[in-house]
Amino acid sequence: MIEASFISYISLAILLFSIGIMGLISRKNIFIIYMSIELMLNAINIIFVTLSKYFGSMDGQIIAMMVMAIAASEAAIFLSLIVAMYRLKHSVNIDDFNTLKQKDTL
Amino acid sequence: MIDTIFLILSLFALAGAIGMITLSNTMHSALSFLVTVFAIAGLYALLNASFLFMVQIIIYAGAIIALLLFIVMFLNIKEDKLKEPNRYNIMLVVAIILAPVDYLLFQAFLKMPHIGDFSTTLDNFGDVKMLGNELFKGWLVPFEAISVLLLVALIGSIVLARKKERE
Repeated sequence: MIEASFISYISLAILLFSIGIMGLISRKNIFIIYMSIELMLNAINIIFVTLSKYFGSMDGQIIAMMVMAIAASEAAIFLSLIVAMYRLKHSVNIDDFNTLKQKDTL
Repeated sequence: MIDTIFLILSLFALAGAIGMITLSNTMHSALSFLVTVFAIAGLYALLNASFLFMVQIIIYAGAIIALLLFIVMFLNIKEDKLKEPNRYNIMLVVAIILAPVDYLLFQAFLKMPHIGDFSTTLDNFGDVKMLGNELFKGWLVPFEAISVLLLVALIGSIVLARKKERE
């Protein structure tokens, strides 16, 4: 039986982070990529809060709160960028967003 | 009792995450991620972080996912335009590469020094008063920096999403 111990929380966070990396690499839809990044931030937050309880100090929870603030500002910028790029390309495929990529023949 | 709640919440979190990266419809994927966010909020409540539990529900479920769903509905994506034929193969390869890394991380956390009993904490650990005391005594400069960052993000998102005038 799985018990709610320190290493169970850490294992869950590691698994969620790995799922985030899998989604980040394998998908083409930019919304899924964005949500994968958010999932990885959430997994790191779980580790911070678990370590905060483990060491009996509030610092981990404060860092987790700051990560949430950064995630909120990232959401605003990322989604407005998606809207701006969708106006140009009419697509959410990241392969269409390679305007800044260096071409093979310079 | 706590073990059962933890097991159910972590199963919900993992199922939501796997659903998020496998479903092809963006809307279903975002709703699946919402399940994960709520399960993680429950895990914060189990970890004595009552303030972070509320912040997770308000910021993530209330603001970020709602904004994401709004943008997805606003853009009205046709998912048949987006073919991802070999995504399961890539996922399998990434999982095989990540498995030893995850094992090493797990072993590293197992070797951490044992401080005390994980199941018992202080009475008021993680509530708003304790977190606010710590935040405004030891973390004042990062807190102000975060508020400036939020202001910059607010202005930047308006500038980026604005329609250009034709000249």
